[in-house]
Amino acid sequence: MTNNPIHHRHIKTALTIRLVEEKFLQLFSEGKLNGTVHTCVGQEFSALAFAGQLKKKDFVFSNHRCHGHYIAFTDDVRGLLAELLGKETGTCGGIGSSQHLCNNNFFSNGIQGGIVPVAAGYALGNKLKKNGAIGLVYIGDGTLGEGALYETMNIISKWEIPLLIVCENNFYAQSTAQQVNLAGDIESRAAAFGINTYKGYTSSPEELLSKAEEVISYVRDECKPAFFLVETYRLNPHSKGDDDRDPAEIEKFRNNDYLEIFQKTNPVYYNQYQTEITNEIDVLLSDIFNDSDLALDKYYSPKVPVENADWMALDPIGKRQVELLNTFFKDKMVADELTVFIGEDILSPYGGAFKVAKDLSFIAPERTFSTPISESAIMGISNGLALNGFKPFAEIMFGDFITLAFDQIVNHASKFYHMFNKKVSCPVVVRTPMGGRRGYGPTHSQTLDKFLIGIDNVKTVALNTFFDPAVLYHSISSEIHPVIVIENKIDYGKKILNHQSPNYYYERTDDLYPVVRVRPILSKPTLTIVSYGGMADLINTILNDIFVETDLKPELIIPSLISEMPVHLIADSLEESGKLLFVEEGSASGGIGAELAAQVAEYTDFKYVFRRIAALPVPVPSVKSLENLVIPDKNRIIQEIKYYFT
Amino acid sequence: MALLQEIKVPLLSVNDTSLTIIDTPFTSGEKVDTGQVIVVFETSKTSYEVTAETPGYIQYLCSNGDDYEVNEVVVKIFSDSKDIDLSVETPVKKIKKLAPINTKEWSGETQFSSGAKKLLEENELSSDLFKGYDFVSKEDVMAIMVSSPKTKKNKLANSVSQMPKQTRLDIIDYKISSGKKIEIDYLSDVQQAGLTSTVHIYVDTAFIFGHLNNALKALKNSILPLVIYESSRLLKKYPLLNAFYNSDSISVYKDINPGFAIDIGKGLKVLNVKNAGELSIQHIEEKILDLSGKYLDDKLELEHLTDITFTITDLSAEGTFLFKPLVNFMNSSILGISSIDTKLNRCVLSMTFDHRITEGKLVAGFLQELKIRLESYRSDNQSLMNQDVMCFKCRKKLKDDLADVGFSKCITPKGDEAYICQSCFKGY
Repeated sequence: MTNNPIHHRHIKTALTIRLVEEKFLQLFSEGKLNGTVHTCVGQEFSALAFAGQLKKKDFVFSNHRCHGHYIAFTDDVRGLLAELLGKETGTCGGIGSSQHLCNNNFFSNGIQGGIVPVAAGYALGNKLKKNGAIGLVYIGDGTLGEGALYETMNIISKWEIPLLIVCENNFYAQSTAQQVNLAGDIESRAAAFGINTYKGYTSSPEELLSKAEEVISYVRDECKPAFFLVETYRLNPHSKGDDDRDPAEIEKFRNNDYLEIFQKTNPVYYNQYQTEITNEIDVLLSDIFNDSDLALDKYYSPKVPVENADWMALDPIGKRQVELLNTFFKDKMVADELTVFIGEDILSPYGGAFKVAKDLSFIAPERTFSTPISESAIMGISNGLALNGFKPFAEIMFGDFITLAFDQIVNHASKFYHMFNKKVSCPVVVRTPMGGRRGYGPTHSQTLDKFLIGIDNVKTVALNTFFDPAVLYHSISSEIHPVIVIENKIDYGKKILNHQSPNYYYERTDDLYPVVRVRPILSKPTLTIVSYGGMADLINTILNDIFVETDLKPELIIPSLISEMPVHLIADSLEESGKLLFVEEGSASGGIGAELAAQVAEYTDFKYVFRRIAALPVPVPSVKSLENLVIPDKNRIIQEIKYYFT
Repeated sequence: MALLQEIKVPLLSVNDTSLTIIDTPFTSGEKVDTGQVIVVFETSKTSYEVTAETPGYIQYLCSNGDDYEVNEVVVKIFSDSKDIDLSVETPVKKIKKLAPINTKEWSGETQFSSGAKKLLEENELSSDLFKGYDFVSKEDVMAIMVSSPKTKKNKLANSVSQMPKQTRLDIIDYKISSGKKIEIDYLSDVQQAGLTSTVHIYVDTAFIFGHLNNALKALKNSILPLVIYESSRLLKKYPLLNAFYNSDSISVYKDINPGFAIDIGKGLKVLNVKNAGELSIQHIEEKILDLSGKYLDDKLELEHLTDITFTITDLSAEGTFLFKPLVNFMNSSILGISSIDTKLNRCVLSMTFDHRITEGKLVAGFLQELKIRLESYRSDNQSLMNQDVMCFKCRKKLKDDLADVGFSKCITPKGDEAYICQSCFKGY
């Protein structure tokens, strides 16, 4: 314990944080708080030292224990109080509450490691904007168990991203003591990535404040990352009742706590400040209690679907899909300085595993980022860039690997807009090639689309070979919310509308996400087939075989926005044909066909027959003969149509 | 004076249900000689000339460039020019030009399903019939075949078109639907000869459903499945009733495929209960339900409508006492079922037959045997039937009555005869 005096301004802020949190605990015990609270009582000076010493243009990413960081950075006590009381006037309208705050460059999320790459992406955006702003991300010692942190430390070091990681080590991950789970040393983890590391103690606030100031300058001036380990101790439980620590241990730290000591050594000041702040909080609260809750329609109102009945004829384009994609991205990178392309192995001349990124790093090297094998970081960094106003296009080399980025899609990208009460949006785009028929085997041939269509606020788009993919990418570019784009490995090499079955009319709607329809020129269809992506391409080539073999006149409908199926168009066709078939390359259970069946059933009031054809529920085998059986091929599709419908 | 020759619009291809007259070389009243071309039709593929078979005086009932439906009389030749009333305007009503089957202009190559190809081959039909189609499925081929009985491998009398009758009274003309015309064609085949006769018999139906209803799932209290079942078996003994008149010979079917006539909103159709002689009553009931379902869902296929060797028509649901059914084409007999008279416990069966093939004695014998067979289903045990007796007040059934006293016969306040349970009778 140092006896060096520190500025009373800091003491008042620290005391404000403590008194606000103690008020939260009181309100909670009175049943006035919905949810939970994680207090940082005992750790306040870490908030002051870092978040409190940043500039307004800088930003902070924090975690579940974020009240101190929030007050230190924004000084917005009322917004925080109202937020936790679930009021519309809260910083996030009561949607986020304790763990999910957003206000003037301050963000917090209840997911631990996941916030680190997002912060790195945001900081990368600042670096690209050359605005001199830096980033700060608070993690706890518990976060050291998550891999996203290490993916990100590697990248921020390599790319020299101005991000300061502050690790608040309070020696407990929730209720588990550190020695149970933490191996080795903390600082040397960051040091191993070539990141400058520092250490300080909340029990020595003055030293901590000056060291923090020094590190902040380093990150800003050198435009490099840094890692600061703050040893601290929380005097309260992790949340509220979950405390099995030795009371003697807690007492020892309480006696060493700066504010406790200040109370004893400067009772007059302490009492004066305490009274002032408590009064201030009580006045705010009495006001806040009169505020109303957010109305549902301000949070969510269902979209009225746009039904566009304008159909336009389709024409072949003598170019391969991958060429058209590459052309789109080259044009986009040149035309829009906020476009960023990021993914593994995308530097030219290699230009990515499927060559979509060819020459991009020649055209816009500063905005083309070839990453290590770090899908979580790729996605998180893209999310951060998107929050910072960029339009990132993240490439996941194989669709199979999107599971490694899933936390970033579901818990970050998808949620920011709503959980931060529409203060920000995350217009990130993630592209990935799915599908088999190349013999790549179980982990490089999957179609995982079914896991991707039900994510709220995320559009899932599947390219097809019927029209220029640039049409879709233009629409995607102007989205303000996340979009997942399913591309197809086989389709990359195909020319647009290269095959046209005789006696069919090829057309598409004039929508942002066009629906393609392949219909008999004259006849009424007697079978409606819905399929998309690579499978739609296959179906198109066998339309005539289907007719000859099964005696059914098929109409093929190909949605491109597979997360919002064109149910009305499908129902129109179905009303004529009475038979609906969905063919998907993934397996059936819990699949896209299941969702379609439910939606069509809800929409229609006539009788029809519905069937699915899908992959068998086993990993896609590499051996060709088996792969052709597991993923529906021509023969199986025709056989099953015959079996089901005739 | 005599009418020597009548020229009707011929059916030249199944696609052409009407033809255009493109040449009338003479004018009405002129003399024509044998062999002279007197009218020329245009079909979808070629032109077709008709020549005079006899010298005489010509009367055109048509005009050049107009369309006329198949079988309409367009030209007549008389022995005497006085027979021709030139003041009479062409009485044949010309029809509006029919829209082509496919309204869009299209001339691509038609795709045939393998089922359609097979069907075309089997029926010796030309794929040219489907010019202008994009896709031709089995169903498309069947539609063409069903809409025109002429495509079938049998000859039918052209009975539909006759000279329109004249009257001085005001009348309203309703056009006969094509479906009805087909029906007329089918029924004319046998009836036109005028040599049919009908024999009626009654069947005692008292308690006939006692056991039968236990066997039937859906068609309870219907005698149709039983009649199909028993008549199919009995027909083996009466082959002449499972036959048809074929010019100078009698053709007897080896198979027994009774058809039952159905008309519930989608036109009169006769549906084939194939090989009913080999089926159980339950199977026959299933078959009836299945075919009726297909009829209602428009899912009938050619095989359901063809190769019927004997017809049963059931008007029992219509409150009929007795009626005279008409023999279907390529059949020699038809069995009609009238309604069951619940007071008299009887139902009349009527059989119309082609007298060119058989005579009333044989048919009466058939009916007599059928009657015996049907009546053998009557339950001796009336109590079985009475299990379904219901209290008119509380709708409790006798078999559900736990009082073990039985029901009383009574007259309801409305004056109907009914049953009442003891509880209701006593008033609680």
